This record gives sequence, structure tokens and C-alpha cells, in this order.
Amino acid sequence: MNAWLIAATVLLTGLAPCLWIAMRGSIVSALVALELASTITTLTLLLIAQGLRRDPFLDLAVVSAILSFVGALTFARFLERWV
Amino acid sequence: MNAGDVAVVVLLAIGVGSALLGAVGILAARDPYDQLHFTGPATVIGPIAIAGAVLVEEPLSSAGIKAVLVALIMIATGPILLHATARAARVRERGRWVIHRRELAAKEDPSRFSRP
Repeated sequence: MNAWLIAATVLLTGLAPCLWIAMRGSIVSALVALELASTITTLTLLLIAQGLRRDPFLDLAVVSAILSFVGALTFARFLERWV
Repeated sequence: MNAGDVAVVVLLAIGVGSALLGAVGILAARDPYDQLHFTGPATVIGPIAIAGAVLVEEPLSSAGIKAVLVALIMIATGPILLHATARAARVRERGRWVIHRRELAAKEDPSRFSRP
């Protein structure tokens, strides 16, 4: 287990506060928690790919960064207008 | 353990630490506007530090380029998302995005509009 995988494991603990806020907070707070959780997930994918020395896995982090932006923006627009 | 390894560990600690501080911060903040501030370090400092760590370990490789690409995407999209979320929160709360004349007047002289 190298420094990258240790960092990924430590970073994953940051998902617990996001989960708590998403369950207990208001709906806009839950959106903020979702955005932070997707950031943490993307960084964790980056760290895992580098820790396992699998370069193709880095594409997952790129795709996650783009799709999490689109997803959160969609949530924000829906919360603003309809829900 | 040479200087490169030490730099990698320090950069990883900075990146992971900033993201974890953001996670603790949204627990401590009171409302969504305060919580939005804590997503800033996680989306800017975290990716820069981790991409820097990848670049220190493998300067010229596809891994380094992809890590920099992820950091650039997150730095570019983070403020857009922050603004969109703040806008959604305000529109839900007040029903509009633009500031009303009455709101400005109440800010300048709260006593005129205070409730008994």
C-alpha cells in the first residue's frame, strides 16, 4: 500500500459528512453536499488510478469531473424552477 | 526517501487536507450560503495539489496530462456550479434573482421595515 492509496482511503472518509448533510439538511444544503461529494469522488478516482499504476483508469476521473458538473448543474436548474 | 517522494507526500497531504476541511466545514456551517464557501478549497486547492503530486512523480506522461486536465476541468467548472447553486438557493428563498428596491431600502435603514 503506497502513499497514493493511503491518501485515497483518508479522502474517502470525507464522504461521511456529505452523506449526513444530504440526509438531514435542507434540499439546497443537500445539493451542496452532492457537489462536494462528487469532487471528493473524482479526486479519489485520480488517486486510486495513480496508486495502482493503471493509466487508463485516469479516464474515469476525467469523465467523472465532467459528468458531475453536468449533473449538479441540472439539479440546480430544477431546484430553481420547479421542485 | 528522496526529495521527490517527500514533495509527493506533502502535496497529497495538502490536497487531501483541503478536501477534508471542506467536508468538515459544511457540517459546521449554518445555511447553504455558508456551506457553499467550503466547497471552494476542495474544488481548487485539492485538484491543483494532487495534479502537482502526479506531475512530480511522472513529469512527462499521459498520467500527468490527464491529472492536469482533471484539475483544469474542476477549476473551470467549480465557480460556475457555485454560482448556479447560490442562484437556485436565492430564487427558492425570495422568488427572484434580482434585488428589489424595497430590499435595498431595508438594508440601508432596517428600522423602517422592522416588524413590531
